[in-house]
Amino acid sequence: MIKELFNKEKSFFFMTPALVWQVVFFMLPLLFVLQLAFFSKLFQNFTLDYIEQVFSFPHFLVIFRSLKLASVTAVLCLLIGYPVAYFLALYVEERYKSLLLFLIMLPFLTNILVQIYAWYFILEKKGVLNKFLLFFFSIDPGNWLNTSIAMYVVMFHIYLPFMIMPLYTILEKMNVRLIEASLDLGASYIQTFFRVVLPLSLQGIKTGFFLVYVTTFGEYVIPSLLGGQKHFFVGTLISEYFFIGRDWHVGAAFTCLSITVFVLSILFYSKLLQRLVLRLQRI
Amino acid sequence: MLPVSKFSKPLWFVSMTLVYMFLYAPVCVLVLYSFNKGGFPDIWRGFSLQWYDSLFDSVAIWRAFKHSAIVGLTSSFLSVAMALLWVHGARRYKHDVTAIFYSNAMIFDIVLAVGLLALFSYLSIPFGLTTIIAGHTLLGLGFTIPVIKSRYDELDESLIEASLDLGASTQYTFFNVIIPFLYPALLSAFLLAMIVSFDDFLIAFFCSGASVQTLSLYIFSMIRSGITPMVNALSALLLLGSLSMVMIMLMLQRNVLRK
Repeated sequence: MIKELFNKEKSFFFMTPALVWQVVFFMLPLLFVLQLAFFSKLFQNFTLDYIEQVFSFPHFLVIFRSLKLASVTAVLCLLIGYPVAYFLALYVEERYKSLLLFLIMLPFLTNILVQIYAWYFILEKKGVLNKFLLFFFSIDPGNWLNTSIAMYVVMFHIYLPFMIMPLYTILEKMNVRLIEASLDLGASYIQTFFRVVLPLSLQGIKTGFFLVYVTTFGEYVIPSLLGGQKHFFVGTLISEYFFIGRDWHVGAAFTCLSITVFVLSILFYSKLLQRLVLRLQRI
Repeated sequence: MLPVSKFSKPLWFVSMTLVYMFLYAPVCVLVLYSFNKGGFPDIWRGFSLQWYDSLFDSVAIWRAFKHSAIVGLTSSFLSVAMALLWVHGARRYKHDVTAIFYSNAMIFDIVLAVGLLALFSYLSIPFGLTTIIAGHTLLGLGFTIPVIKSRYDELDESLIEASLDLGASTQYTFFNVIIPFLYPALLSAFLLAMIVSFDDFLIAFFCSGASVQTLSLYIFSMIRSGITPMVNALSALLLLGSLSMVMIMLMLQRNVLRK
């Protein structure tokens, strides 16, 4: 009987709409980007001209600027987010836990533009922060916008919850008895942390780190609103090529190049994180 | 829960408070200033609702809101319906065939946005609400499928067998046993897809053409052109909207757990 409900042809029929949608609006667009980078006409006239054009110092500079932005944001989020997740998972009383978690989750589900606008409002030349500084300390630091400090602060603010959630999930599942056993057997707090807690949470560290790293690398809105017009980042340069330069082939080639460099950097970080956690065990 | 030593307790307390303050200070200032009597560069001049009044009078904001609502509702409905069918069909496969959708939420949006732009213009599909809906439905699939799948995995197969044994048709079973069981997950998947669609900027930015504006696009253009407390009022209302959606979602989850 149950076979009738789940027979093969029928279940494939059920799966078709989502599958078609995925192929048409996900795989096909990605294929299109690839195609634009390597062919001067639709799948005709194979050429490496566009790749050659983007294989230049300024383009790599833009990619490295984005790598730096993503790395700094991810590391900052990890350094601040880990203690927060640790505290939430292991030290907070049960009755406050859900509220505190809810407050971490909420910014994650509100419109990012609203959050950026809030920062814009504060950091503007005549904004709240400068008013405050002028009133209490009578200093006027000038414009905060279009500086890299503003950009990093906002990136950190927006992506911190992305780091805390996966870390919390993994730390919450950890067996507290392991920590207690380690302490009972004479290890110090620091030894327990580096030898028991940290290695056990490696998966959460990786998930959180890459979640932040991947989303910040292609970030468009924050660099374009807060980073000033002076420096391009990967996201802003791609959109510049597609919207203003109208040079789609070169834009697509640049997209492919930055993805390649990016994937390599992910492999590097994955190894590095693992090494680091192993090394810290020796403390 | 581990015991906290007397020495470190105040330290934890202070640092956690600082983190939460950092997370919420900007939004609080934003909402506070939406009630300001004065205009933007002014300091606090007293309480007033004038910016909310002008918000409700603004034609452009209403139009953007209408577009966002149309896009959000349609794309969420589509992605939930497709996700439901997919999960129902994929149940018989031993492998995790659902994994092909996980990348939708992981890839950086700009590559997808650029690809969609190239695809639509090659096929000469006019840019507008339909193209945004197509993109948002795709984004939604990455979120709705895992939510619905995790609920479907909890479904006791004997319920279906019982229903079929007692003479119900497969169709009847689908609509009267499976759907009611999945109902809370369907609703929270719908809300999640709505939130994703309302939040998205990049897909809408690339797929809208110059013709239509969603709320995100509207706020973006307002930030570019200069600050007005009207946008503060709009942001405050949006925050209220997502707060209530999250509350509903949490309440649904709690009800399920209690049962």
